[in-house]
Amino acid sequence: MRKWVARLVVLGVALLLAGQGTTAALAQNPAAGKKIVRVGATQAMDSMNPFLAVRIVSTQIHRWMYGFLTVSDSKTLQPSPDLAESWTTSEDGLTWTFKIRQAKWSDGQPVTAEDAAWTFNRIMTDEAAKTANGPAVENFESVTANGQELTIKLKAPQASMLENPIPIVPKHVWESVTDMANYDAEKYPAVTSGPYIAVEHKKDQYVKLVANPNYWRGKPKIDELQVIFYSNPQAAIAGLKNGDIDLIGRLNPPEYEAIQNDPDIVAWNTQGRRAAYLQINHGATTTDNKPIGDGHPALKDPKVRQALHYAIDKQRLVAEVQNGLAQPANGSIVPPMYKDFFWEATGDEKVGYDPARANQILDDAGYKKGADGVRTMPDGDRKLEFRFSIHTDTPIEDKLAEYLTGFFKDIGITLTTKKLESSKFTEETGVTGLFDLAISGWSVNPDPEEVMATHLCSRRPNAAGEGGGTESFYCDETFEKLYQEQLKELDRPKRIDLLKQMQERLYTDAPIIALYYNNDLEAYRKDRIASITPIPEDKGLLYGGSSYWPFYTVTVKDTAVTSPAGGGSNTGLIAGIAGGVVVIALAGFLLSRRRKSVADDRE
Amino acid sequence: MTSVAAARRRQALSRFWADFRRHRAGLAGLVVLVAAVLLAVFAPLFIDDSVTSVVDAPGEEWSGPSLAFPFGTDESGRSILLMVWWGSRTSLLIGFLAALVSIVIGMVVGIAAGHFRGWLSAVLMRVTDWFLVLPSMVTALVLAAILGGSTFTIIMAIGITTWPSTARLLRAQTLAVEARPYIERSKALGGGHWHITTRHVLPNVAPLLLASTTLEVASAIVTESTLAFLGVSSNKTSWGTMLRGSYDYGAATQGAWWYILIPGLAILVVVMAFTLVGRALEAVLNPRLRKAT
Amino acid sequence: MTAPLEAAEPAVQAAGPGDERPVRRGTLQYALSKVGGALFSIAMVIVATFFVFRLLPGDPVRNLAQGRNMTPAQLDLERHRLGLDKPLINQFFDFVGNTLRLDLGTSYEYKRPVLDLIGERIGPTLLLAGTGLVIAVSLGVWQGTRAGWRHGGRFDRFSTGTSLVLWSVPTFWLGLLLMMVFGVGIGPIPGVLPFRGIESVDAPDGFAYLLDVASHMVLPCLTMVAVIYAQYLLVMRSSLLEEVSQDYVTVARAKGLRDDEVRRRHAVPNALLPTVTLVFMRIGFVVGGAVTVETIYTWPGLGQLFYEAIVVPDFTLMQGTFMLITVAVIIMNTLADVVYHLLDPRVRSA
Repeated sequence: MRKWVARLVVLGVALLLAGQGTTAALAQNPAAGKKIVRVGATQAMDSMNPFLAVRIVSTQIHRWMYGFLTVSDSKTLQPSPDLAESWTTSEDGLTWTFKIRQAKWSDGQPVTAEDAAWTFNRIMTDEAAKTANGPAVENFESVTANGQELTIKLKAPQASMLENPIPIVPKHVWESVTDMANYDAEKYPAVTSGPYIAVEHKKDQYVKLVANPNYWRGKPKIDELQVIFYSNPQAAIAGLKNGDIDLIGRLNPPEYEAIQNDPDIVAWNTQGRRAAYLQINHGATTTDNKPIGDGHPALKDPKVRQALHYAIDKQRLVAEVQNGLAQPANGSIVPPMYKDFFWEATGDEKVGYDPARANQILDDAGYKKGADGVRTMPDGDRKLEFRFSIHTDTPIEDKLAEYLTGFFKDIGITLTTKKLESSKFTEETGVTGLFDLAISGWSVNPDPEEVMATHLCSRRPNAAGEGGGTESFYCDETFEKLYQEQLKELDRPKRIDLLKQMQERLYTDAPIIALYYNNDLEAYRKDRIASITPIPEDKGLLYGGSSYWPFYTVTVKDTAVTSPAGGGSNTGLIAGIAGGVVVIALAGFLLSRRRKSVADDRE
Repeated sequence: MTSVAAARRRQALSRFWADFRRHRAGLAGLVVLVAAVLLAVFAPLFIDDSVTSVVDAPGEEWSGPSLAFPFGTDESGRSILLMVWWGSRTSLLIGFLAALVSIVIGMVVGIAAGHFRGWLSAVLMRVTDWFLVLPSMVTALVLAAILGGSTFTIIMAIGITTWPSTARLLRAQTLAVEARPYIERSKALGGGHWHITTRHVLPNVAPLLLASTTLEVASAIVTESTLAFLGVSSNKTSWGTMLRGSYDYGAATQGAWWYILIPGLAILVVVMAFTLVGRALEAVLNPRLRKAT
Repeated sequence: MTAPLEAAEPAVQAAGPGDERPVRRGTLQYALSKVGGALFSIAMVIVATFFVFRLLPGDPVRNLAQGRNMTPAQLDLERHRLGLDKPLINQFFDFVGNTLRLDLGTSYEYKRPVLDLIGERIGPTLLLAGTGLVIAVSLGVWQGTRAGWRHGGRFDRFSTGTSLVLWSVPTFWLGLLLMMVFGVGIGPIPGVLPFRGIESVDAPDGFAYLLDVASHMVLPCLTMVAVIYAQYLLVMRSSLLEEVSQDYVTVARAKGLRDDEVRRRHAVPNALLPTVTLVFMRIGFVVGGAVTVETIYTWPGLGQLFYEAIVVPDFTLMQGTFMLITVAVIIMNTLADVVYHLLDPRVRSA
């Protein structure tokens, strides 16, 4: 038995070492001569079916595979031609006609307006197909095709029509799908019209895409794009450092700091698409205007909300909570990355850090400080003690809560932190209104209509206290009116102006207080990636943007091809083998010794 | 209780201590265990919750071990030493309370199943067997995920999934004790169920219960940290949440080995101590094992 | 880890046919009664799962929606689709019926039937957990035998000590350390072993592919073995200790058999029984370890799927994986009972 075990152990060790050697050697072969970019992701694909997929990794991959009606211009982020070459709008803004480009699917079939019409109609008629992008067709009356001409009739004018987020799939392939809810679209190679074609997907492991030679803009400059999944974010960072992957996006500040001094790595730190803000329960109501929840009555007073705003040192939050990897917000929920739509407070309107002024506002409004330094309501009944709802298990929010508690203490307001599981958090801060202040944030798309809509009256929960999707329980006449106007306004500069006015209203009325705009943190290997163009080209995103642009323009270094996929250098391999030999020798020695000693014991 | 019985108990205790002292590993474990508990209990005399505050953190971020911070600092400049010390309170509290829940359920079910006969015993054993086969970590995760993370739910999740082995052990012991003639005598003298179980069975199984508790505390501390790693935590500084923090903040890529090693070693040392004491207790108390070792 | 360290005692008892009822029954009868018990346990799991998952705070539909924008109409539709508008008792019977038809519902996150998701991931878990278990048991039995046969010796103290240390360590912590040391590399020492996934992205074909998978298995397997082998070692050791003091061992020695032979022919086979039982009894424990190990090393198995379900959280998926894991463990235990009964003459003729 012992002998057997010993042999097994030795065999195992030898085998594994040999295996390591062989794989490292072999791994060079498939890669040789091919230009490959390997992208790390800490999210696995939820679905390969673009009608169902909602995770960022999936929507990114679908952006690389499929064409859309329009795509964000790489410089201005304005909608620009993608599969739709050009478009016209009728006088009343209800009929849109798109001319579909003469292009080919990756299987050689021509792309026609039929494909687009089929895609939209499927979503309009099939509940299951609505999963990913249902709201995008809600306003569609009908979609028809005639050759290369696509006609969409709307129920009501919609200026954001061109920001359609739906990937267009080939009708001739998808027609046969009957049960959309259960279709996983795991057929390879996929039939696509974008720059890449998915050729392999190993669940929870990786997705392999190859360049589409028939792509209408021309074949991408690399041959293969791999998206490699890590369930352990630390392993992903280690993978980048070791050279197992070439690029990783969506880093959080600690991860970014861990790689920023690595000489082989470009640490990508630009303005991002996310705004973090405080949500204030300023008297939550349902759609029939009945109060809901248990918000503190003092928060109904705009003066209190403004005082809170003056008490927050956003510079310090950015420096110490976000480690400087964000921008303090002097505007509202649209981050400065979207230059066109970004609005910032100036002059008298601007609320800076000024605790003295905050105290003054509260004093003037009759919120008197008690003996314990905590203010009470003007009628003297209730102390200004607010709860601050954050998520469990988010260290950054813990930190934020501690700072805010300190800031508010300076103006005689007590803040206690309330940590909630994510589902409970959504429920209490979005539906039942059981909160005073809550942390919130939103990743904004190039067109801010969607994020604006989260502050509409209609987004509040209904009379039964259900549904909605409000980010603030806000219901304001001025804001509603501006929203309706921008929907109809087809003149871009005028519409931009309306959307800016909406942000201004949110800023001054303060149902929410924007804290900072998180930076976009990413990283890629210098020795592998020669160039990559972000979207927008000036200080934009690489991964997670609204276009395939970065991964269409990416180029790799020629020298990089010889680097083995395993990343382990030859010295490592030799060290490993040497170590293995030592272990085996040692094991052998011990085994033989023990046999001898056992033999000694025998009578 | 008569003075004779008391004297006998005292004697048994001193014999037990003499036996226990012979187990050097157990003794060492006991010393560590007592030290850890005393440190945790008296921590509030020296430090308070402010050691976990990120706003008033005393040190530089990610600084290595130094005189001021013997075990270095974390991502916010907090002292790892003080955090581990303060965190020991939550870790040990969860360990002890979870073990208590587990032992109380196990004791009641085990003694009842051993003492009573017939359908009650059968039903109790069926339930015990059922809980015994449930994969405890997976069940605890599901329970904690459903009930939401808090110290209470974590204690309950661990307690509820670990009691069956205690119940089994105690049932066997109860059966053995009740087979002894003096129980028969006690019954004949009119001793009721309550009298027999509390006056005769319980004192007899108590030592084994102690050993079992010690081992339960050990595994509860490890389970707490595993739950914290998998995202179910009590939201208080404990060794498990510290390790989770070191993972979230990428201590490994920062090269901050102290942040990863120290809380882990704290778990290792304390769990080892509990385990060694538990094993020594078992060895002393279980005559079969005593003969063998 | 989380299991009682030396569970030999309860394990043996659990395997025994109820100690106060001396039964003389045929193996078939015994097996049937055990299978009956298992079916009852499985039924209990289904019932308990239904009610535990109804304990969730908040509206189940909103929980499923995870804060995605849904209109009240959509919520109602979803509620109707899931049958949540029916009375509880009807929901219960629907649930039981569906579960018995192996319809475990559709994952909200992956939009696929839970059973399909499980089916895709069960292979890698069986490979990892199976290999880990075989190595852990072989190592545990081998070391336990040596340690128990010459208990108190240096080898005994060394292996008992090592296993206790490894047992006292959280699996994820050990896994992360191993990943750092052997995968990533520390300081001047480069990491050599892969620490992500089951295979390289550009994996070669044929035999080289097997080697590729094997090299990916080293670290996860090592982590798993390190934490689970202690219990096999300790149980093997203590049951061997018990055998050593038995009369037949003395007799065998008196017959003049060599020490080695007494051990191999007499003591070890008898001492193996409780260990073998333990292997099956503690399958659930191995599964628990798989959750952390698979998460750390991105192993595409059930453990990672379960972790995803908890993190999202995807309650349908959590419920389905939980039931499947539990039922599998119950089946393994029943098998253990029956096999034990067949193997151990003492139990059979009790």
